[in-house]
Amino acid sequence: MKRRELIGGTLSVVAAAAGGTAPARGQSGRTAFDWRRQDGQTINLMFNNHPWSQAMRDLVSEFTARTGIRTRIEIFNEEQFRARLTTFMQGRSVDLDVFMTLASREGPVFRRAGWYADLVPLLADSSLTAPDYDAADFSASIQGANTFNGQVIAVPINQEGPLFYWRKDVFQRLNIPEPRFLEDIPVAAAAIKARDPSIIPWSARGLRTAIPYAFIGFINNIGGSIATPDGKPGLSQPASIRGLEMYANLLKEYGPPGALNHTFTQVIELLGSGRVAMVYESSNEFANIMRFPNRANDLGVKVLPPGRESGVSKPAAIGWGLAISAHSRRQPAAWTFLQWATSKETQGKLVAAGVAPPRASVFQGPAFERWASEQPIRRAWADALVQLGREGTGMFQPPTERIPEAREKIGDAVQQVVLGRATPAEAARMADEELAKLQ
Amino acid sequence: MVAPALVFAGVMIVFPFGYAVWLSLSEVSLGQPPRLNGGANYARLASDPDFWNGLRLTLSLYAVSLGAQLVIGTWLGLLLARSRRARGLVRTVLVSPFMLPPVVIGMMAIVILDPSFGIANWILAQLGLPPRLWLSDPDTVILTVAAIDTWQWTPFVALIVMGGYLALPTDVFEAAEVDGAQGWQRFRRVTLPLLGPTLVTAAVLRSVDLLRFFDVIYITTQGGPGTASTTLNILAYRRGFEFFDIGYASAIMVTLSALVFGSVLVFARLRRAVTW
Repeated sequence: MKRRELIGGTLSVVAAAAGGTAPARGQSGRTAFDWRRQDGQTINLMFNNHPWSQAMRDLVSEFTARTGIRTRIEIFNEEQFRARLTTFMQGRSVDLDVFMTLASREGPVFRRAGWYADLVPLLADSSLTAPDYDAADFSASIQGANTFNGQVIAVPINQEGPLFYWRKDVFQRLNIPEPRFLEDIPVAAAAIKARDPSIIPWSARGLRTAIPYAFIGFINNIGGSIATPDGKPGLSQPASIRGLEMYANLLKEYGPPGALNHTFTQVIELLGSGRVAMVYESSNEFANIMRFPNRANDLGVKVLPPGRESGVSKPAAIGWGLAISAHSRRQPAAWTFLQWATSKETQGKLVAAGVAPPRASVFQGPAFERWASEQPIRRAWADALVQLGREGTGMFQPPTERIPEAREKIGDAVQQVVLGRATPAEAARMADEELAKLQ
Repeated sequence: MVAPALVFAGVMIVFPFGYAVWLSLSEVSLGQPPRLNGGANYARLASDPDFWNGLRLTLSLYAVSLGAQLVIGTWLGLLLARSRRARGLVRTVLVSPFMLPPVVIGMMAIVILDPSFGIANWILAQLGLPPRLWLSDPDTVILTVAAIDTWQWTPFVALIVMGGYLALPTDVFEAAEVDGAQGWQRFRRVTLPLLGPTLVTAAVLRSVDLLRFFDVIYITTQGGPGTASTTLNILAYRRGFEFFDIGYASAIMVTLSALVFGSVLVFARLRRAVTW
């Protein structure tokens, strides 16, 4: 039996009803979950700056009210977050209890270092896990991304990936058809540049380390792959080179000046302020984009269009998770927080903050449906996320445990082409050589 | 009496540096205790093009910034020393750039120098000049970073120079005037030699800062575009905290520390040479 099935199986025999502050009777007749069992403890949480963590900061008082567990939350931008986390964990600090983690990036390395507490025993312990937690509600692909050789390292808190946003009003005004295929994007960009020089046709991530998240969709959709079937670096494959060329040329020919220093903050600022016609940026930023005037009415959003020949749309799809430090001395209290934060109830509340829920029941539930049906763009965003979850990939680099380094090499290849220092074929060959050294 | 000071120095200075040296001589895998690896990290430095690129950029940034800050700071300091009007107000204004946290300076630079929506290119356009990429041009990014640092720290040098100049004996200048020394000649033959120790002090203070310059680059470019602003500090940070290659990152930082100590020693000797 696979461990994931074991988790689901374990939970399936536990009583379904719980959630109040007082113990109650479950379906099995046993006393149901006592949320106040860890009352009086204080746990330390470290989060990456993310729509989820921002929303969580506002919601966490409900957790304390329900459980009696107090929390100390620290939120840092992603780079500082990892630096601080590394310092804490390498020093075997017992002061940190819960941290956000991106398993697709650091999962193998952190797991090998022994930094993650295994959640399987906690999930299986009916005295520590609410009977209605329903771990099987997370899709297999999302939970699978957080499972390494049977060890569950984290529980998912969101799902995300880059989406294609375009200004429908600009396309209509300039009489340009909406891109249906990947190859239509450069054509549309050229038409926008020719017909209205006041608007920037295209914007996407150009910062070296941020590029692969967006770039992988271009490689896959055009029919290439980042790795060969036998797991070797695959940027030098003809279709992959075409994907590299398209991504780099869009930035070079149609992107804003200075695009090579841009990551999501600049891309969203350009889109929100109405200065760019098309962007390829994270689904996470949806709520931020909607805060700008008019964008809810004039934007379209969907997954990156498929390649004309390949018919494939396979962009990046990832999800952050919550992990418990292996060095924590308050693991039961930390696990109580994880359950509450990833419960159906809490995830339902996080939808309003633009956090795409990883639970199928929340995604398909009435609250999310009501929220999505209020605006056509919300519906389009939700549909795109469903497609992302179904077809996206968490693999941005050839197989390696040195993932951050590999992603930097890929980003470097794109930058070399944008800067005109290498042809796409040269940049791909050099990147493949470097990537092979990391395997 | 000196025991507390010795203990403090041991705990706060010697131990952290010794620990860094130990790490630099070790292979450090996450979650595992460091294992000595016979100086392999230093051998790696010699064959790592990123290290040599970082060293070149660190020294370029150092030379350009220090040169600009000493020249402009001396000019500004002398101007201030000779001005009698609103000296207090001007001093307050001059202090403000280097009172700002580097994060604020970095964020200001991002906003002002953004090629798409920054005010710097708008001003260039008003003057009929072509726009520039500033922090996004690999050929000029180090100069742009040097300009940001020069903007922030030149007033600091100016205040040191002003203080040094006002403390100089006036009879030397009177004698020079009697002898007919004026303008450039007076500056070259009298003021500059007398200001020598002051300038060396300013150079030492700025050298230490410039060689460990990190925050503004990290905030504005993160070492890019490409590796065009990946100085040794940025390189070590990335290797240590993003690639988890802590032993090698420590070797880079120990090497950089040796560079800082070396520059301070050179200036200490220079100070003795220019003391009058």
